Amino acid sequence: MDQLVLFVSLGFTVGAVYAVIGSSLVAIHSATGVLNFAQGSVALWGVWVAAELGTTGTLVLPVGELQLTDGPATIPVTVALGVISSTVLALLLHLLVLRPLRAAPALSQVAASVGVMLLVASLVPLRFDVTTTVARPILADSSVTILGAEVAVANLVMLGLAVGVALLLAGYLRFTRWGTATRASAEDEVAVLLTGYSPDRLAAVVWLVTGAATGLIAVVGSPSIGLDPLAYTFYVLPGLAAALVARLRSVLVACAAGLAIGSFQSVLLLLSTYDFWPVWAQAGFGDTVPFLVVVVALFVNGKSLPERGGVVSGRMPAVHPPTMRALPALLTLAGVLAAILLTEGSWRFGVVTSVIMALIALSLVVLTGYLGQISLAAMAFAGTGGFLLSRVTTEWGIPFPLSLLVPALGATVLGVVVGIPALRIRGAHLAVVTLAGALAIQNFVFGNPALTPYEGNLIADPTLGGLDLGVREGTNLTTIRFAFMVVVVVGALTWLTARLLSGRTGRAFLAVRSNERAAAAAGINVAATKLLGFGISAFLAGVGGCLIGYSRGQLSVESFSILVGLALLCTVYVAGITSLTGALLAGLLAPLGVAETFLESSLGLGEYYNLIAALALVVTAVLNPVGITGSVRAAITHARSRRQQHVLAA
Amino acid sequence: MSSQPEPVLRTRGLTVRYGGVTANDAVDLEVHRGQVVGLIGPNGAGKTTYVDAVTGFARSTGEVWLAGRRIDRLPAHRRRRAGLARTWQAGELFDDLSVAENLAVVAQGGGLRGLAADVFRRRADRSPRDPVLDDLELTDEAARRPDALSLGRQKLVGVARALAGESHVLLLDEPAAGLDTHESLAFGEEVRRMAGRGSGVLLIDHDMNLVLGTCDLIYVLDFGQVIACGTPDEVRHDPAVVAAYLGAEVAP
Amino acid sequence: MTVLEMRGVTAGYGSAAAVRDLDLTVAAGEVVALLGPNGAGKTTTLKTAIGLIRPRAGEVRALGRVVDRRVDRTTRHGVVLVPDTRAIFSGLSVRDNLRLAARRGGPRWDSALERLPRLAPLVDRRVGLLSGGEQQMLALAKALLCRPKVLLVDELSLGLAPVAVKELLPVVRGLADDLGVGVLLVEQHVDLALGVSDRGVVLHHGRTALEASAAELLADRDAVHRAYFGADERND
Repeated sequence: MDQLVLFVSLGFTVGAVYAVIGSSLVAIHSATGVLNFAQGSVALWGVWVAAELGTTGTLVLPVGELQLTDGPATIPVTVALGVISSTVLALLLHLLVLRPLRAAPALSQVAASVGVMLLVASLVPLRFDVTTTVARPILADSSVTILGAEVAVANLVMLGLAVGVALLLAGYLRFTRWGTATRASAEDEVAVLLTGYSPDRLAAVVWLVTGAATGLIAVVGSPSIGLDPLAYTFYVLPGLAAALVARLRSVLVACAAGLAIGSFQSVLLLLSTYDFWPVWAQAGFGDTVPFLVVVVALFVNGKSLPERGGVVSGRMPAVHPPTMRALPALLTLAGVLAAILLTEGSWRFGVVTSVIMALIALSLVVLTGYLGQISLAAMAFAGTGGFLLSRVTTEWGIPFPLSLLVPALGATVLGVVVGIPALRIRGAHLAVVTLAGALAIQNFVFGNPALTPYEGNLIADPTLGGLDLGVREGTNLTTIRFAFMVVVVVGALTWLTARLLSGRTGRAFLAVRSNERAAAAAGINVAATKLLGFGISAFLAGVGGCLIGYSRGQLSVESFSILVGLALLCTVYVAGITSLTGALLAGLLAPLGVAETFLESSLGLGEYYNLIAALALVVTAVLNPVGITGSVRAAITHARSRRQQHVLAA
Repeated sequence: MSSQPEPVLRTRGLTVRYGGVTANDAVDLEVHRGQVVGLIGPNGAGKTTYVDAVTGFARSTGEVWLAGRRIDRLPAHRRRRAGLARTWQAGELFDDLSVAENLAVVAQGGGLRGLAADVFRRRADRSPRDPVLDDLELTDEAARRPDALSLGRQKLVGVARALAGESHVLLLDEPAAGLDTHESLAFGEEVRRMAGRGSGVLLIDHDMNLVLGTCDLIYVLDFGQVIACGTPDEVRHDPAVVAAYLGAEVAP
Repeated sequence: MTVLEMRGVTAGYGSAAAVRDLDLTVAAGEVVALLGPNGAGKTTTLKTAIGLIRPRAGEVRALGRVVDRRVDRTTRHGVVLVPDTRAIFSGLSVRDNLRLAARRGGPRWDSALERLPRLAPLVDRRVGLLSGGEQQMLALAKALLCRPKVLLVDELSLGLAPVAVKELLPVVRGLADDLGVGVLLVEQHVDLALGVSDRGVVLHHGRTALEASAAELLADRDAVHRAYFGADERND
């Protein structure tokens, strides 16, 4: 019993962070209709600013820094400046990114806030010394005895802070006129305008308050939770889970749910020390909790979640189905083959990786660009493929072409399963499920020593009829045989996908994307079409994951980390998520592809890759949602029509 | 068997409730093959709700029969495949597809069968052209996107999409809103032709010239209930109908 | 004194303008009925008058100021629209709806109940549970609290029985008579609307087709009747 009390209370610290993030997400959703994936990043930035001040007395800004004191700053100064930094970040996020996107489709909003999430995550290791900075204790190191357990006061203070913040937010929303107007704006923004309030100003107040609260709880909790360049970023997931349990309506329920998730994860840790607990569930199991909570909450509450009325939703970027012309395809193929033959070493590896990444990017084009389903799990499907490939080649001895097919079919099954929630929910909610699922798969499957050995998942080289297709041969990093095999596989699948997208399947996808009601009225089985899209997408990603596996010889967590997945999403979105050409271009720009090789080898700027990708995503989402291929197409069309006018005029 | 043939569309006691509001209250309605039936009533009377309920887009109680088959348990897409087509007030076209493809979506099989067809098809099947486009004089617009067309043409594409493929019954929800007088007259003739081919047509519109001039029979809906049913002349002189529209007192 | 003035206004969504070259004025204390068949441009006119739609040509002036896109400020200055969606919040209580509309230094939220006493027993009820007539009453009460000098009302009768409308329209008339509010009233129940109006304007295809005093229009009902049931009487 005392053990249980102890672990429940230990969970309060991290649970309090979840709780405040969850409460903030509910309030922000009321005020703006946006699910802010970057709320964890708001916490992350404040925590590091405070820690740096507490260690060296330096106030770090995104660009530049101020030396405030010689030696560590005092606790009130560190806390205050940490909170202010978080608040400013939250306000900037509102003013520069999400407010311009208020009438944009859910995809743009998700892409933009995911971009900010990745931006902050990649900025932290660049701006802070992540090896030597420590978070100094802020709360007193004393304890009280409750039900026979020694409970640290710090945990109780965190609990109190979280509840206090939630009460404050709930009180504002319930009892003040502006708060009431904010709740009203969740229902109908135009009606709020017609009552004499500016929804923008109401939203700014909420961003300010929640930014400060999120910064405060994270800064105060950081000495117990520890400094991590990434962890806070993903605290948004339990926060989202808590917010969804509260049906995006009740700040207080979100707070309670956040605390409960924190405590439950802590109790799971306790349970995992007992003998009866299975070995496979010892690591990473806690990370499946937010995912399970999200799935259950969305299934139970799916229909009753508030949908915003009032502002007309903008259109998704237009789609131009593949024309299936031979010449551009052959030219592209020739270009790729030339690139393989003319390069060697890390450059050729970059080219091959780009080709593989183009296939995974294609899986996003199919699912998100054509079918309109926002998935952040493409890399998890790829990882499933690679993970199964290891089993298939080393344990089951399945030979080469089949060794691609079996794992890809495994990924397809997973894709269809992940697609089932998409039958009831859409837009940003689907993005939450897929992100939570991806994190759960990453930490519970790929990062679980019971399922994935420490030395990684070894993969046997492919051979076909006695021909060795392995990636390495002596000192040669990437053999031409392997590179050609990749080109053949990716080329064939791209060609097949182009056939699908330009035919009935693509037409049905676009009909569902355009208008689900009208699609049903045209006789299309919307549910089956969505599952088909998830299946095709996961199949492509699964094959991509296998090819990545073959190119590395072994796989570990890092190979398919969520950050790589989000960076890939960035590049696909920037390149143009609605076209086949966009997928190919995304391959060039993708993580570990040609562009990153160029940054790394030629410019020595490899560490800035994620930052640049994230920045490009945010800018694209706000200013140019059609992506590079879309704007090039528009420019060509414009030039053609000008030329025609000239001809007519002459 | 009575001498009257079985109606191609029949609803019995069709009722729709939203929260505490009864939007359709036990609506009985019949459409026969070759007949154009009008459904009119003031704004908010429940006309669109009726169409939504019949086509499976609003939860309802009561019976819906299509060509002798009871369909009120089927999901919307299966009702369409059973031969029940509709248009939407707001057009609801697929803006990412060309006009021709908007129609092709209806005729095609989707799912895994469509997938197989895509993989093994010949090149020629790729740009199907429905003859309905020619009937409605939309041939020139076939390759264009709906959002590049005028509102009136968009409405017509919506009708064309409902006509594509096989159907027993067409439900037209305000197809003429946005058409000018000339287009509206031409559209009325088109509706008669649709019925002439053996379909049943249910026409909802505010354009009284169109409805009174085109329909064989008119139902009048007010507060979700049928308050009158008769020929255009009967309806036009029914004091309850005039009252429902103009809010005047009904003469005792 | 003119409180609302539209000069040569052309406006609408998309490619086709719903309102073309429209001139319209409303004086303080005057009720103007804006009539016409569906699609004539009545709602677009009201939305343009308050700034929800920016006119493509022409100018809208209200209370001496040019109406811009900042609808919240225009509303606080006293130009108030009751749209056909009613602009009430079904998730909030009646009291919260009224409190939102009450201005600092203005009349208290419950002062609106004096003109609409039937709302008084319902103040703690959630708006979603009210009947259509009660919701419309609340929409009017909310508009009253915004201290309107120009009141734009869109289809008060939408989904209501004529009896319920007959209870609401006199409230609108009373505002003009007692407080000097200028009212622009869009209404499909022609006779009821003209019964409380000083003047009627009939729109057709976005243009003014007929403008006359309410008494004249009531005397020549056939003109209005034709606008609803079509211009040519080919079956008679």
